[in-house]
Amino acid sequence: MNATDAILASLLAAIAVPAAGAVATRFTALQRSARAVAVVSAALAFFAACAAAWWWHQGDGGAIARGPVAAGGAALVFDGLTALALPYAALVWLAIVVAAPKRALDGESVPRLLAGEAATLALLATAHPGLLVLLWIASIVPTVLSLRATPGGLPAARAYGRAMAAAVVCLAVGCLLIVRDPPWRPGHGLVGDAGGWLVAVAVMLRKGVFPLHSWYPALYSSGAYGTALAATMAHTAGATAIRLLVGHADGVAAELVFLAQAALVTTAYGAALAVVQRDLRGLVGTLAMSQSALVLAGLAGRLPTELCGALAVWISAGLSLTGIGLVAWAIESRAGSVPLDSHPGRADDAPALALFFLLFGLATLGLPGTLSFVADDLIVSGALDEQFHAGLLVILATVLAGIALVRGWFAIFGGPARVDRPRHPILPRERVVFTALLAILVVLGLWPGPLVASLERIAGTLLESRHDAAPPSLTHGAPAP
Amino acid sequence: MTGTRILSWLVVLQVLGPAVALALVGLPPLLGLPARERGVTRAVGAGFAIALAAAAGSLAMLAARGFAPHHVHLGTWFHVGHHETTIDLVADALSIPYVCFSTGLCGLVNAFAGKYLHRETGFVRFFVLLALFGTGMNLLVLAGSIDVLFAGWECVGISSTLLIGFFHDRVAAATAALRAFVTYRVCDAGLLAAGVVLHAATGSGDFERAIAGSWPAGTCLLSPTTALVVALLLIFAALGKSGQVPFSGWLPRAMEGPTPSSAIFYGALSIHAGAYLLLRCEAILEAAPVAAWLLVAIGAGTAIHAALVGAVQTDLKGMLAYASMTQAGIILAEIGLGWRIVPLVHVVSHAILRSLQILRSPSALHDRHELAAALGGHPGADSGPLVRLLPERARTALYHVALERGYEESLVNRLVVEPVLVALHAAARGERRVVGWLSGDGPRREADR
Repeated sequence: MNATDAILASLLAAIAVPAAGAVATRFTALQRSARAVAVVSAALAFFAACAAAWWWHQGDGGAIARGPVAAGGAALVFDGLTALALPYAALVWLAIVVAAPKRALDGESVPRLLAGEAATLALLATAHPGLLVLLWIASIVPTVLSLRATPGGLPAARAYGRAMAAAVVCLAVGCLLIVRDPPWRPGHGLVGDAGGWLVAVAVMLRKGVFPLHSWYPALYSSGAYGTALAATMAHTAGATAIRLLVGHADGVAAELVFLAQAALVTTAYGAALAVVQRDLRGLVGTLAMSQSALVLAGLAGRLPTELCGALAVWISAGLSLTGIGLVAWAIESRAGSVPLDSHPGRADDAPALALFFLLFGLATLGLPGTLSFVADDLIVSGALDEQFHAGLLVILATVLAGIALVRGWFAIFGGPARVDRPRHPILPRERVVFTALLAILVVLGLWPGPLVASLERIAGTLLESRHDAAPPSLTHGAPAP
Repeated sequence: MTGTRILSWLVVLQVLGPAVALALVGLPPLLGLPARERGVTRAVGAGFAIALAAAAGSLAMLAARGFAPHHVHLGTWFHVGHHETTIDLVADALSIPYVCFSTGLCGLVNAFAGKYLHRETGFVRFFVLLALFGTGMNLLVLAGSIDVLFAGWECVGISSTLLIGFFHDRVAAATAALRAFVTYRVCDAGLLAAGVVLHAATGSGDFERAIAGSWPAGTCLLSPTTALVVALLLIFAALGKSGQVPFSGWLPRAMEGPTPSSAIFYGALSIHAGAYLLLRCEAILEAAPVAAWLLVAIGAGTAIHAALVGAVQTDLKGMLAYASMTQAGIILAEIGLGWRIVPLVHVVSHAILRSLQILRSPSALHDRHELAAALGGHPGADSGPLVRLLPERARTALYHVALERGYEESLVNRLVVEPVLVALHAAARGERRVVGWLSGDGPRREADR
């Protein structure tokens, strides 16, 4: 078996295992052991994704493409983006299923969660427009079903479902137009441009970019944290933007630049909203919206620094927000909803959760020694080098997000302790997940060299593809259509 | 091993000592393991002792070399394209004496707090934060590049915030910590932006590329416009950390923290971090006279404001906070005037005196009772001679101004904080309406949630 075969086998295993887990927990007697199946499936998917990424890094760094090709995108692609996004997304799912409260993982919810994982991992490994549309639908449906099944989640299911339906329609029509008139070909017409803009709108909707963002806080307000994190932390919209919008003949596409500007505004606006949230869910939702938009803000950058920063934010913001979300889930599963205006003094009855919330918060706002410090440094430098106002917006967002997080921490954990309240010790599986996520953020923050070098290679590939006027999946040895 | 290599190792040890102590006392709580008080204080004390010994050794070696600066390049942390973040430390006539004094103070406070906080809830937390502060402070002082300095600066800010909110079961402490953090965070944006401008101008954050020559005789290599921009941003950053007008509101409230941390942060080290930053970049200030004069004006204004407000404080820690603010203002004015050695000596002497006063403050009531018993009555408060010269009405007006803290906070609240909060709440209300409409839940009902 050569390296390419090993990569493809690992990739297919990463997608197939959660899919099989979803089928097994939905239709067989394994429904009774749903939690165990979920953990094993997510763990195997994570190891398979890591194996695929490891094999790819051992090679020459070229893209591997298989299957039918449309508009320059192959059905199965493994390139730098996949090598980064696949293990990351699999890790997010693994963290969710291991740390989730017991009652959140039953025979009903686990199939949806695993189906969502399989669809998302498949989405990260394709550049084919038709498949992207199908996988968008496949990854959205489990979220809608989960929201509908959550008590009080119907309004959020409606908001999310409507926004995503509009996003899928835009993506489908946009892809049709792109296939007909690929906008990266010299002399492309208005059809290709229209396709690009529709895809941009779809990405804005899916990513929750201002002014199409309102479903995002609603999802966190009413859905289970696991559902919300799984739906938003994989950055599928960012991956789609890279697959479909990067590679225009005239350099960076106008729609990508617009997308980046709107994402920058979202970053600052989301952080500003986070400062005045009235409950923990609102805080986590608006912060997640703000930080994940930062990924998109850097993707249109013309400098490797900014692109590298965006990819570093992809991991750092994703992991730290996943950590915050999981800690918030743990607190709410024990103590109910947490308002931010009453200082309930939770540090006394849940000291370990207070510690982890603080540490993930610090990791989000760029504490030196964490990956977010590196990511912020890169994205701020890149943004300021390229556009002064962009850099200022990023700095403003960083300031506001920090204020929101520290306000949130003191509002949740500060205040007089009550001796008659039950204690909420952390569970061993929660401690393992939180410590592992923190360890990744700290190790990559203290020794960012290898990661940044790898990200630079990926960023270089993306920038090259712009200059070469060819889509990214075809720039390194992929077969011609 | 050559002398240069030994010196490099000694410089690294000054950061590594408290950093290793931080890891040793910080990891057990993270892993759910118990930690004993004595072990914690010894670990942190050993970290500071190692750093202090290394600093003393470095000082001796530097003195033998005539205080020629020694740069320690630990490598490139990460780089992308032309953007390079290096880990550079510098041992010179400014940094090493400063580390000696700051680490010595940290060690003393560590010893004091071991007894003072005995059996206090959050004992371990205090020492974790003290070790984080020590690491950050030494990183800040020894930084050879603005990137490393920013890393240290952030550690100092975070540890300061968490120590102000140490007694987080008191709502006042949590509010005071948040207020300090907001000020820090807003002003830190200045340092972040200054770093980016330096990177853009010189291709690196190394001070060597912006300032030629060794401290205190450095000269600025930046263009006048860049120097002015960087200087203004650095001043903005320094004002927050040093509690200068209009960012001084957090400082008196910061005394909500435990006494040992108040002593080291707001009497000694944290409050002078801004002064250190400006001393390190003095050459850039010198190349931007407008910024330098602005600094003089702000420093002098703060000193007058704090002296006035401090005179009417009725609690000892508040009085000491305003006294610190006064001295910090004078020190910044001295830096703005282009003096280099005077402000350094002023920083060290003020820090030592003020931390002693704050550490002694819990016993002050006892001392006062003893004094009153010895005098046969309470010693009366005496106003200064200048105040006595003023007419009664002016004195009363001045008293009211002082009681209202110079109206500084009310102005900042009215002109900045309230409009921002009103706008944000309006945006949040609008968001809830949109969500209500999207979810078919009805805009009114959603807005009322």
